[in-house]
Amino acid sequence: MSVKLKALLKSPWVFHLSTGSCNNCDIEILDCLTPRFDIERFGMVLVGSIKHADVLLCTGSVNRKCIPKIKELYEQAPKPIIVVAIGECALSRGMFINSYNCPVTLDKIIPVDVYIPGCPPKPEAIIAGVAKAIEKIKKSKLQR
Amino acid sequence: MNKDAILNNIKGKFKDTIKDFSEKSPRRVYIEIDPKDIQDVVKYIFLDLGARFNTASGLDTRSHFEILYHFTFDKLGFIVSIRVKLSKDNPKIHSIASIIKGAEWIEREMNELIGIDFAGHPNLKRLLLSDDWPKGVYPLRSDYKEWDKDAIRDRGI
Repeated sequence: MSVKLKALLKSPWVFHLSTGSCNNCDIEILDCLTPRFDIERFGMVLVGSIKHADVLLCTGSVNRKCIPKIKELYEQAPKPIIVVAIGECALSRGMFINSYNCPVTLDKIIPVDVYIPGCPPKPEAIIAGVAKAIEKIKKSKLQR
Repeated sequence: MNKDAILNNIKGKFKDTIKDFSEKSPRRVYIEIDPKDIQDVVKYIFLDLGARFNTASGLDTRSHFEILYHFTFDKLGFIVSIRVKLSKDNPKIHSIASIIKGAEWIEREMNELIGIDFAGHPNLKRLLLSDDWPKGVYPLRSDYKEWDKDAIRDRGI
């Protein structure tokens, strides 16, 4: 395992991107940071810039105006980056599947590593999802 | 000024203009007027009677397009909605943004989503839709059809 990746897995820094969500998933993400769930014990910190991030958390049904912005953010992100789709909207657009403003799902735009379903998912589910992402990368080809 | 005085004032001043008047509840009144009189009526209710312009809503009904301008009298808890009906072939009305600055954005929104043309609007450009949205396609019209061939409408399961 490269030193870079090992460091990434010890303390994944997280960037949170809302692609037009109703803010429920965003509230649950912020909930993870509170003392009750306290994801900082896994070394996870929310960062303000994608250039510092190792994990990209995406919430919301991806709307037309947001698609170029998502692509831009993904290009700016330092690789390797783990993309986590949070909530039913980011997974399959939920109730907005026939909306004129939501043409495709998130995984058709950027590669998604972990899907966390729920509307909104519980903080426990989000923590479990990110922990699974770390496990996945430990075992994956990226190690070489 | 109480509610009856307000209604009597409006009714007295626009005797010939008002086409229909309905009182849905003690706090809610709908007044239908002709589209060409909108500026006079709005000027009177907003400037002279001192109502607050809450919002406007556009609607695509079977026979026509409809705009409702909602004015509230906050001290009385009373809402007056001005209804105008526009023809489906040529939905055009004079903008009220010159009287009420706050109506500018809601008119832009109605323009792009329903396709109502606001004459005299200072800045009638796109507000919410993305830049690649084709001209002349209005998503909130009832006859809207999917135009994007790349759109995927299944859940991928």
